[in-house]
Amino acid sequence: MINYFAGVDIGSTMTKVVIYGEGIRAMIIGPTGPEHRKLANKVMEEALIQAHLKFEDLSYIIATGYGRINVPFADRQVTEITCHAKGLHSLLPTVKTVVDIGGQDSKGIKIKDGRVVSFVMNDKCAAGTGRFIEIMADSLGVPLNDMGRLSLTADKPAMISSTCTVFAEHEVTNQLSGGETLPNLVAGIHESVATRVASLVKKLNIEPDVAITGGGAKNIGLVKALEKKLGCPVLIPPEPLITGALGAAILAKEIFEKYTKEGQVPERSKSGLQEAKFFD
Amino acid sequence: MAEEKKGRAVATKTAASIPKFVRGNLAATLKAKEEGKKVAYAYIADGQDEIMRAMDIVPAWGESFAGVCAAKRDAEKYLQKAESDNFSRSLCTYATCTIGFDMVREELGGGAVPDAPWGGMGRPDMILGSAQLLCDPRFKWPQATQHYLRDVPVFVGSMYYPPFDPKMDHHEQEKFYVKYATEELRECVKFCEKHTGKKMDWDRLAQIVELSDRTWDLFIDTYELRKAFPTPMDTGDAMNTMVPLTFNLGTQEAYDFYKQLYDELQQKIANGEGVADPEKYRLIWAAGLPSWFALGDFQYFNSKGAVFPVEVTYRGCEKIERLELPKTNDPLEHIAWRWVRYWTHWYDKARKRPGSLPKVERIIEYIEEYKCDGVVFHSAFSCRSWHAGIIHQAETLKKVYREIPILILEGDIVDISSYNEADTHNRIDAFIEAVDSYKKRMN
Ligand code: SF4
Repeated sequence: MINYFAGVDIGSTMTKVVIYGEGIRAMIIGPTGPEHRKLANKVMEEALIQAHLKFEDLSYIIATGYGRINVPFADRQVTEITCHAKGLHSLLPTVKTVVDIGGQDSKGIKIKDGRVVSFVMNDKCAAGTGRFIEIMADSLGVPLNDMGRLSLTADKPAMISSTCTVFAEHEVTNQLSGGETLPNLVAGIHESVATRVASLVKKLNIEPDVAITGGGAKNIGLVKALEKKLGCPVLIPPEPLITGALGAAILAKEIFEKYTKEGQVPERSKSGLQEAKFFD
Repeated sequence: MAEEKKGRAVATKTAASIPKFVRGNLAATLKAKEEGKKVAYAYIADGQDEIMRAMDIVPAWGESFAGVCAAKRDAEKYLQKAESDNFSRSLCTYATCTIGFDMVREELGGGAVPDAPWGGMGRPDMILGSAQLLCDPRFKWPQATQHYLRDVPVFVGSMYYPPFDPKMDHHEQEKFYVKYATEELRECVKFCEKHTGKKMDWDRLAQIVELSDRTWDLFIDTYELRKAFPTPMDTGDAMNTMVPLTFNLGTQEAYDFYKQLYDELQQKIANGEGVADPEKYRLIWAAGLPSWFALGDFQYFNSKGAVFPVEVTYRGCEKIERLELPKTNDPLEHIAWRWVRYWTHWYDKARKRPGSLPKVERIIEYIEEYKCDGVVFHSAFSCRSWHAGIIHQAETLKKVYREIPILILEGDIVDISSYNEADTHNRIDAFIEAVDSYKKRMN
């Protein structure tokens, strides 16, 4: 009989669920709303449908990400640092350094045999995160998904010197009205984010292979800029958004198996998959 | 309006008496005038404590007052005041907080400041700076203060120690540094004599220095009790219990405080009482001043089973016998030797491990002796002396020692705008997971 496990990753902008058995059985990505608990509930339901499973079929569930404490049906909470490392190691075992560029933070993780050796996080300033690109895309009127492709056509990336997101927004619109081309500006925006992320991650003493995860990995312009700043190629996992949820599901499996090996049953959450109220 | 936060619960009863010490120190500066005593603005680890005590000068410690303002989350008004006169937010916030306070007090005529945390500090009669090798604020802060207290005389001494160079034998150089430091202290005495109108009582000074030495010894004996499993006291308390050593050195109260703490820790060890139950992880606070407004984070660590049996911060002393101080009858020369050797006594060890540094050797020594599983640094952005070298220390530690988990917390000592509790706790959670997996790997 196959046991199934779930990882729920509530990030600042996206919620991800992975159901794992002998391999990935289902994965769902949905936007994170203000009511994390309700949404987790809904995304989990979708994942179960995709996996042709019932909630009762799940042997252990781990929640991760910023909203991890808002998943009442999770059996345990683990930080996204540990889960990213675990998930990425299962996908790309040669990777020693992970750069995660999320919607509202960015981080670097050094891993050894799937375990976290050290990490750094930028959760203080939007300038080195996906949010910076989002805001700039908005003020330039470029769809977010087109930013990466557009930047590849730049001939000379513009210099964005302001660190502050609000001032950078001014700077970008000023440069645009001054005649700078859109591709050069977009490439400059990516370079600006890549510079900040690289200086953050360099604190870790980067070792190859390096991989990128999170929403930032879906932006080819940002990936290229990061490769330039780090001075090495950067690997992208097949689905860079789900590494945290995947790691959580694998960890759920490991914990469950450790208990059963010792003839024990891990403690489970009392809450079923029913809809939860946010502030109950 | 200050956002008062419930104080951090302390693990030891003795630490609970610290607010009385701090309040007492502040009150003494306000009462000094009535008692016909002089008040001096003073700065920690200045080597001048004993001179002040011997001359009945009441020290007003800016760092202590700024820490109180921060702990009460009531520093913003002073930071803003200083900022209004173009002091940058990135300057040392101990300095800008007290300068802001000075500006307010001067505007009110120099007397007591009505809404100052714990009454504030009394107006000084002199400013006794001591720059040492710490940072630029230690030079400029006293001078910038005088800008607002024009009639108050300033003395800024310097007690340097030989910088570490792995290729150089510092033993040869030490005596020159000691000579220089002794002369600086002598100048300080002359300055104090001039502005108090009293002569130094050298016998009294010698007795006070001898009491300080005993306090240093007792402090270390007490803190070394924390090696016990489970540790009876952690850094959360040590950020309080440092007060007598740091601000009351050379007084009987300071000595008595550590005697009481020593007895309490011994009792706790006998009862098997720890800080966390169960104690799962032992950490070292390897560098950095704490965020005074967020001392509750130590309890957050404790709630995860993590304790800090040792810290580098505010452990500003060593067992006197370990320093092998040359004999001298001059109390000032003794202070100078004690200061220089406090720093250099890690140099020989550091030289033996290629690529190491004295500060890193100290961390390694503590990791080994206190059996630590992880290392925490706090990078307080406005404190350049600690902040600047932290990443280098962390990297060196990993290189010359081992891949021990390291957490670098980011914040400030006073400026609460640098802090976000949820993110800090998220980092702590991730770090504890890394320590857990490290421990499993090591086992
Ligand atoms: S910068 Fe740091 S060491 Fe220097 S005075 Fe300020 S707090 Fe003290």
